[in-house]
Amino acid sequence: MNITETTQDNVSRVELEGRFDANTCGTVEQFIREKIKEGMLQFVLNMEKVPFIASAGLRVVLVFARELQMNKGNLCLANLQPNVLRVFEISGLKNAMRIFDDMESAARSFND
Amino acid sequence: MIWKVPPEASTIDIANSCFPNLQFYEIIMQRLSFDFPASTVNLAKIGELAAHAGQKAGFSNVNIGDIQVAIDEACTNTIIHGLEKDSTRMFQLIIQWDAGKIEILIHETGVSFDPESIGLPDIEAPLEDRSAGGLGIYLVRKLMDEVKYSTDEDGVKTLYMLKRVK
Repeated sequence: MNITETTQDNVSRVELEGRFDANTCGTVEQFIREKIKEGMLQFVLNMEKVPFIASAGLRVVLVFARELQMNKGNLCLANLQPNVLRVFEISGLKNAMRIFDDMESAARSFND
Repeated sequence: MIWKVPPEASTIDIANSCFPNLQFYEIIMQRLSFDFPASTVNLAKIGELAAHAGQKAGFSNVNIGDIQVAIDEACTNTIIHGLEKDSTRMFQLIIQWDAGKIEILIHETGVSFDPESIGLPDIEAPLEDRSAGGLGIYLVRKLMDEVKYSTDEDGVKTLYMLKRVK
């Protein structure tokens, strides 16, 4: 799993590249945990280059989304590939999570 | 390595002797069997094999994705819960298919785990009430047509999953 990040207007844009499974979820978890420690509260995960997600990946996304929401922060997702979106849908997380078609709509949602 | 397993000579003999006037159809199932250490490093490759098998069995791309999720969740459960991520321990993964269906079997001798005992997550719940656990086995049950778990008298546990092309 490769992770690249840029910060713009207090929003951390995290681009993930690779499978998001039990083997790689720890890398993502650690990365976001570090950013939260640095004081970051708003995240958009760019999932464009994530071809596969398993429940281990869902769990990381769910845990941070919930934690940030409780601390007046936010985590949303953008650019999900159809099969990845399907896993969110079957798990009932499609409606529970904030999911956007592209990075710009995701970033804009923080101003609403 | 992929190979065809033709019926054994004795099977052909008995079919011919019982029904000498009937043409019988060979049931040829392709089968891949591996012993893997209890480590998550092989999950990506296992997903590739599942995609290959699913394609050969005639599944749509969406259903191949479903099979990949199910096999990933089942192996992850075995690695993390059954074998406690101890990479000196092994599990056997069998993927077998013919035109129309795929079967996946996982044999291991780790900690007992009955998928039936895991409660279903409340998938309608809002974010703050959602539990992060139980999603893996929920996905397996949801995405496959049949899921069975058994333990034989030697303590070998088997998770069996089947999906049919619709």
